[in-house]
Amino acid sequence: MTVPVPLEPLVAGVELPFRDGYVPSIVYVSLYVSLTAVALSTLVSVPVAVAVGLTEFRGRRLLTSLVNTGMGFPSVVVGLAVLFVVSNQGPLGPLELVFTRRAMILSQFVLATPPITAIALSAVAGVDDGVRDAAHVLGGTRVDVALAVLREARGGIATAVLAGFGRAISEVGSVLIVGGNITGADGVSKTRTLTTAIQLEARQGRYETAMLLGGVLLALVLAVNVVVVRLGGGVRR
Amino acid sequence: MLRATDLSQSYGDDPVLRGLSLDVAPGEVVAVIGPSGVGKTTLLRTLALAVEPTGGRVTLDGTDPWAVDREARLSLRRRVGMVFQEATLFDTSVARNVAYGLRVRRSWSARLGEGLRSLVGADGTTGAVREALEVVGLAGAADRHAGALSGGEAQRASFARALAYDPDVLLLDEPTSDLDPRNTAVVEDAVAEARARGIGVVVATHDMHQAERVADRAAVLLDGRLIETGPTDRVFDDPDDPRARRFISGELVY
Repeated sequence: MTVPVPLEPLVAGVELPFRDGYVPSIVYVSLYVSLTAVALSTLVSVPVAVAVGLTEFRGRRLLTSLVNTGMGFPSVVVGLAVLFVVSNQGPLGPLELVFTRRAMILSQFVLATPPITAIALSAVAGVDDGVRDAAHVLGGTRVDVALAVLREARGGIATAVLAGFGRAISEVGSVLIVGGNITGADGVSKTRTLTTAIQLEARQGRYETAMLLGGVLLALVLAVNVVVVRLGGGVRR
Repeated sequence: MLRATDLSQSYGDDPVLRGLSLDVAPGEVVAVIGPSGVGKTTLLRTLALAVEPTGGRVTLDGTDPWAVDREARLSLRRRVGMVFQEATLFDTSVARNVAYGLRVRRSWSARLGEGLRSLVGADGTTGAVREALEVVGLAGAADRHAGALSGGEAQRASFARALAYDPDVLLLDEPTSDLDPRNTAVVEDAVAEARARGIGVVVATHDMHQAERVADRAAVLLDGRLIETGPTDRVFDDPDDPRARRFISGELVY
């Protein structure tokens, strides 16, 4: 027996100000751009953090300060810089990246790399020297020692990746400048992300849609947090 | 046989060891005694082939690890074990800690396979790991997390970690300085077990009674030199060097 649920009148009463597929396409673009950018940043940042954290060299403190400074890059400025780089006259002009997802990935990569590197570096530097010594005298090669340190620092590195992802998925300025907040004629997002969509909806006075998209963004961040924290070894003692 | 000949070691311009010589034969326990800060740890790290001496040589069965290529040096290093004064265990189970030395000696493909099997819950505890844990009385602690061990248990696990891969030489840096009498007794029994297995053992200690209990020979380290070396009884009862005599009688305080 089916219970008649009076859902239809509810939905019919509300005029949804977007077409089918609009929200999923925005979610997809947001996740695709931010996750790709953060994955690339992590591939660069973590090896750099381990190398810098485990070796002594001249200019190490300067490098660390530069990375820390990079955490404060204003995203609109990064967007502007990336726009110049990918514009027709810029060095990457021939690749025709203006208003593409690739350009958005590039700018988010620039934004996410400094926080991931800085936090991963502090996690690596915080590992007890005894761990390196132990791995070394127990017969580990340099790679083994680096892996042992990385394993000890995994909680901090998970935090670093999360911080990078948080920076990437929540920023508006650079994706707006290099991506252009574009949807196709079918209403499906090409370079529109959750943040740029929220900004647009709010500016046009469609606050319900803006709120809905805001809720989706929060849920996504929460979901990614859960996954990364689990991969990073769960709650630390 | 591990042999140090005219060994010197400095940190920057600061000489710590100033030309000392020491032999450790298989199945022999040598105690290096001396006051704190005299360079016992530096000596042990150098004997562990972890750092290159600034002068003189350390050889293992006649081979100088710093005169051969990296691969050969690694295989020499892997015949030596060292236990630090502070047990720094890895953030994982006791069994995985003790298995570490064995694991790094395996090929990458074997390690990958092992890692995948452990993901599906396979018990990777090998006979050598179990045996090493038994020697230090931690057979029941294999599955506990290293962070949950007491200080004494952690130090014993750290001992087992060096024993598990059956080194030719074992270097112990103040292995019982922070331990209660019961844990100390377990560690000293483990030293005796290592000796019985034919492992050459060097124990750095400032506890002269411990040196008398565990060592065949004793060496007194002062001012970067071994000022007195000989059978433990003789070094304690009738040292030749006047400063060694004063150190052993407790007069010489650094």
